[in-house]
Amino acid sequence: MRGRRRAARDPALLAAVVVVWALLALFIVYPLGRLVVRTFTDGGHLTLGNVLAILGDPHHRQAFWNSLLLGALVGICGTALGFLFALTAARANLSRGWVTLLDAATLLPLVSPPFTTAIAMIFSFGPRGLITYGLLGLKGVTVYGLASTLFSETLTYFPIAYLTLKPILAGIDPNVEDMAQSLGASRWRVFRTVTLPLAVPGFANAFLLLFTASLADFATPLILAGNSFPVLPTQAYLQITGLFDLGGGAVLSFLLLVPALAVYLLQRYWVSRRSYVTVTGKVGAQTTVKTVAPWLRWPLLGGCLAVAVAILYFYALLFYASIVVALGANHAWTWRHYQVIFTDGLKAIGDTLIIAGVGMPLGGCYAILLGYLVARKAFPGRHLMEMVSMLNYALPGTIVGIAYLVAFNDPPLALTGGALIIVACYVFRYSPTGIRATVALLQQIDPSIEEASAGLGARSATTFRRITVPLIVPAFFAALGVVFIRSMTAISATIFLVSIGWTLITVRILENMTELALGPAAAFSVLVVVVVFAVIALISLGLRRWRVPGAADFSSIFGG
Amino acid sequence: MRLDRRSYAGTLLLLLLALALGWPPPPAMAQTLNAYSIWPENWARPMLQEFEKATGIKVNFVRFSSGEALARLIAEKGNPRVDVLFGGPVETFAAGIKEGIFQSYKPASFGALPARFKHADGQWVAIADDPLVFMSNTKFLTEHTLKPPASWEDLLHPAYKNMLQMADARTSGTAVTRIFSILEVNGRDEGKAFDYMKKKRRNVQLYTKSGGGGTLPVGLGQAGAGIFFIVDALDTKAKGYDVTISFPREGIGTSAEAIALLNGAKNPEAGKKLIDWAASPAMQSLYAKYKINFVPAHPEVPVEASLAEVLKGARIFPIDDGYAGANRKRLVERWINEVLNPKE
Repeated sequence: MRGRRRAARDPALLAAVVVVWALLALFIVYPLGRLVVRTFTDGGHLTLGNVLAILGDPHHRQAFWNSLLLGALVGICGTALGFLFALTAARANLSRGWVTLLDAATLLPLVSPPFTTAIAMIFSFGPRGLITYGLLGLKGVTVYGLASTLFSETLTYFPIAYLTLKPILAGIDPNVEDMAQSLGASRWRVFRTVTLPLAVPGFANAFLLLFTASLADFATPLILAGNSFPVLPTQAYLQITGLFDLGGGAVLSFLLLVPALAVYLLQRYWVSRRSYVTVTGKVGAQTTVKTVAPWLRWPLLGGCLAVAVAILYFYALLFYASIVVALGANHAWTWRHYQVIFTDGLKAIGDTLIIAGVGMPLGGCYAILLGYLVARKAFPGRHLMEMVSMLNYALPGTIVGIAYLVAFNDPPLALTGGALIIVACYVFRYSPTGIRATVALLQQIDPSIEEASAGLGARSATTFRRITVPLIVPAFFAALGVVFIRSMTAISATIFLVSIGWTLITVRILENMTELALGPAAAFSVLVVVVVFAVIALISLGLRRWRVPGAADFSSIFGG
Repeated sequence: MRLDRRSYAGTLLLLLLALALGWPPPPAMAQTLNAYSIWPENWARPMLQEFEKATGIKVNFVRFSSGEALARLIAEKGNPRVDVLFGGPVETFAAGIKEGIFQSYKPASFGALPARFKHADGQWVAIADDPLVFMSNTKFLTEHTLKPPASWEDLLHPAYKNMLQMADARTSGTAVTRIFSILEVNGRDEGKAFDYMKKKRRNVQLYTKSGGGGTLPVGLGQAGAGIFFIVDALDTKAKGYDVTISFPREGIGTSAEAIALLNGAKNPEAGKKLIDWAASPAMQSLYAKYKINFVPAHPEVPVEASLAEVLKGARIFPIDDGYAGANRKRLVERWINEVLNPKE
């Protein structure tokens, strides 16, 4: 009740809520609704037959448990690895050069299509793999299964955990740790009882993001899981594209919503019970970070570097594949593959850049607006708003893509065939990273700063613009970065949305791979990596002009 | 920190400009044609460029695998975005007929085509024929002192344990053609055929999503052998991978590649011209020039010499259309339950 009255008194808030709800309704609720109708009806009649048929199959049930297992393992391993990197980068007093190196290494998996690591895995492991056979001389090794899928997904997604945890660790005021130390606590005790608990919202966020990323990933298991470890997104994809069973595929992917929502609610409950405010309006004296003992710095760095070397190896292999005639058969140097992508593939490159360039700022604005509303404002249905905003991210892309196709093919909303539908898909599917970043960051900032602004007579729009926005700039750039990167690299949803008029690099990569044109596929991947790095560098340069304490370095572009 | 309102407004304006320039897609010119191609781009592109040269009709196309193309066409049924589905195994077209996505068109060479290369009502016509082959890694064969597999039974040899790759019947026309081949060589005795497939399952390392998915692993030696369409196998060889192609003496199936006009096509006349052209010797005699190893469907086009050499002595039989159409769904489901996911 109080919320509703406040909303009515504040026209800016009311307008923002209405606009956000309209967008959510149009681009998330409506397409999924159309898909549900399609799932639960058969020739105009309501039926449960589709669902029961799927649930009755033990193979599908196995796929469901496999997905949970994989998601949980990727969540745990990825968060642990991300924490190692974040701790090393943010709390170990390393020189700027080392931190930049770690940032660059973790960026690689983020800035390339997810299945590129999977392809490099196929070359490296297996009966004739470069590593298992060429280096170690092992025979009869199989590359397909849980272990390699887990390895590949962890390596691909842990940077998300790193980027979520790093600003949170960096944001912990060293004075807090100092106080604990001066009260006689050992470094380990301070770490355990002060630093770690302060990072809890970050852990929960990172785990959630990785869990859902793994749940939704169909490309990696498609290539690596083999036939003994089926997972739901791949099954759903095969059900739709292989058996032409849209209903069955829809049911399979709706099963994924259950664990995704459960983890999400758990995380909410866990985070909301505690207060994590360490950045307040009151500024303490400057002090150095003493979280990590000096001797521990080098083992930590060593661990990170080992992972970085593994990542670099995969991408070096990819680069090599792009400059030889045919990897594994003819290793003569050639630029032919690059010629091919810059002639036949030029349209895909241009289209992708336009779509990513348009989606990026839209996604950034949408993410901080929604994150801010949810974290700071009281209005009816805000929890529902956050949940709805997560839907397109939690659902496998295949389903989102098919839902968009079903919903937006006919007038009055005939968007298929254009660029808008691809942009909308990316914005509403990949902004949740920015939304979560905004929420997590705002939980660390004392509301009293904003209350002071309001107390001095500023309207909520003014407070948002003058006080909140500068504080959540890192989250804005996280949203910007993730939407841009995903626009350049994602495939599962948009493979259904590309058209005669608009096509995407990632779709061309997958096509090239199935056409056995590994060279152009590798060349396209290298191009994606280079473009994304260049854009990041540009944003970073621009960001330096609006320097914010602790927010203006290279890495914070995705941080939050 | 200063947030400059004007720079934001400027950015927004630029964005709007980009949108205005970028969308919607430019209006169609008088003589254009839109198509989904199931053939890989490196084969579809030269063919469609030759068509442009011959007729002046501009063709816009995107390539999708057969499953993806069909899923899209079904979803776009009410408002089709393309006029023609170009290339792809015939059973994709059979599945499309059930969804009512095509319209009948009988091109000029309809009468000249043998019965198995056309749908009786002209819902599709064939533009090529594509037999299956066994493809093995030559080094793998010598290391295990094996001869190239010359019988379906040879693939059950323990040396192949966990070393075969072939397509998944859920997604791939290649796999469906393979299953019907096995049924044919077993006299359509389903019990015998499935016994064989279950035995072979032990040697299978991976069932791949696309029909050609296993060619690269076999080429690299990550897998020992597999069953593929001849175009994919010869393409692997042409890339420089050391592979051996062989045929089973019991015989192996072949699948027609087809073309069809979509129901509700926006440029039906241009679409019909493409079908006329593709079903005639005008296009099919170009396969040799562009090193596309399909067998021409039109009886007047000779098979290219080196392809004919590979096919010499091979026992190849067509898959019976009616039998395959009537039993496909049931047999694929049985394959999923008994072969792909055996109950141990």
